[in-house]
Amino acid sequence: MKKNCALLSSIGQKLLIATSGLVMFILFLIPHMGGNILFLFGPDIFNSYAMHLHQMMPVVIGLRVLMLASITIHMAMTIKMSISNVQARGTRLSQKPSKERSLAARLMPLSGGMIFLFIVKHLLDFTISPPAVQMIEIDGYMAKDVYGMVYTQFQDPVQVIIYLLFMVAVGFHLSHALQSAVQTFGWYVPRKHSKIKLISMWVAIGMASTFAIIPVSALIYFHY
Amino acid sequence: MSDTINISLKVWRQNQGEEGHFEVYQAKDIDTSASFLEMLDVVNEQLTLNGKEPIAFEDDCREGICGACGVLVNGTTHGSHEKTTLCQLHMRKFKNNEQIVIEPFRAHPFTVIKDLVVDRSGLDAIITEGGYVSVKTGNAPEASTTPIKKELAEAAMDAAECIGCGACVAACPNGSAMLFTAAKVSQYALLPQGHPERKQRVEGMVGKMDELGFGSCSNEYECAVACPKGIDVQNIARLNREFIKASFM
Ligand code: FES
Repeated sequence: MKKNCALLSSIGQKLLIATSGLVMFILFLIPHMGGNILFLFGPDIFNSYAMHLHQMMPVVIGLRVLMLASITIHMAMTIKMSISNVQARGTRLSQKPSKERSLAARLMPLSGGMIFLFIVKHLLDFTISPPAVQMIEIDGYMAKDVYGMVYTQFQDPVQVIIYLLFMVAVGFHLSHALQSAVQTFGWYVPRKHSKIKLISMWVAIGMASTFAIIPVSALIYFHY
Repeated sequence: MSDTINISLKVWRQNQGEEGHFEVYQAKDIDTSASFLEMLDVVNEQLTLNGKEPIAFEDDCREGICGACGVLVNGTTHGSHEKTTLCQLHMRKFKNNEQIVIEPFRAHPFTVIKDLVVDRSGLDAIITEGGYVSVKTGNAPEASTTPIKKELAEAAMDAAECIGCGACVAACPNGSAMLFTAAKVSQYALLPQGHPERKQRVEGMVGKMDELGFGSCSNEYECAVACPKGIDVQNIARLNREFIKASFM
């Protein structure tokens, strides 16, 4: 099979979905989470992090292009595959699913769709049309008070709840996605007592809750 | 002495090319030690006596080794998830006065031929793509000329247990034939005799599987639950590896 045909075969498409997903996980989600944790250390550290990130614009733009490519591949392939899977399944009238399918696995299209909406909202909130931001001085440079911007956004409990809901979606999505990618790459993920499944679940819970810390702590814990 | 039960059957009836529908029949005094297929035989006898067309279903060995039987019973492939084929399922599993819903295996490539009989020739077409090994004709080779590790031989035998009944396809939420194809690829990939055609086999089988409109695997493992022979998803991981090696390395 030619390489491009192989990539468009059913296994090839899954490899594309798994790879693009992992690229987003490793190059975007993990660093983003790392940055977010700095919010807990107060305005000085967080704003200085934001400023340094801003100074590395070429890298940031490179990553943005990579993310755009990954999410496009991820979504295009998933939508294509889901449509053909629904066709392949045919009409089933009496069939019952077993207990084997986790909730996370069943909710993949929903959690994936929610994550997409979330990304759009998140970009609108903080990147595309951020609220007016105060300028502050850090180490002799004028920089944006990103901490203040994030803090203000999360003084609204409705926003906090929306963000939390989306984090639940991220958690669910990751918990099936990680283990599924491992199996797709050819490492055996057993049905029962699988360490990979367990790790996948805990990484998902850990990441979703770490992301959730910011809106919650901004609302109820920190004062600025 | 075995007991008898009365059951009502809600069975899918369909002629090829026509719309199908469920019909309800009463089956009285069914021996609980009868197999599911024997129960259908009894019902069919009654239907025939009453001038009605018997329910079409497939079977052959009736001892769980050929893969000919298989329908959805109460929404479950082969009526049980306990590594049992339909022909090995017994009526003692059902309660008196229970209604049993019987539907054919569903998947787009499995078109209904009649009632509970579906066209599973797609699975044969996948095997045709590479379910063979190159051997010289003539006398059988000396058994110990090719040493094979016990674990490999056992894993290959486990994969070869697949009887090709199609329950994995019918149970998969995506109508995927990955477990079936994985078993067929694995039984050869694990043994040195299968290595000459290793690359063409995996590419051919996966290509055929896609061409026939089977879905793709989203690692939900319903297939392994449904498999009456306990074929494990380890084979799917192996199929993925074989495919990656053959196509990208
Ligand atoms: S009739 Fe052969 S396996 Fe059931």
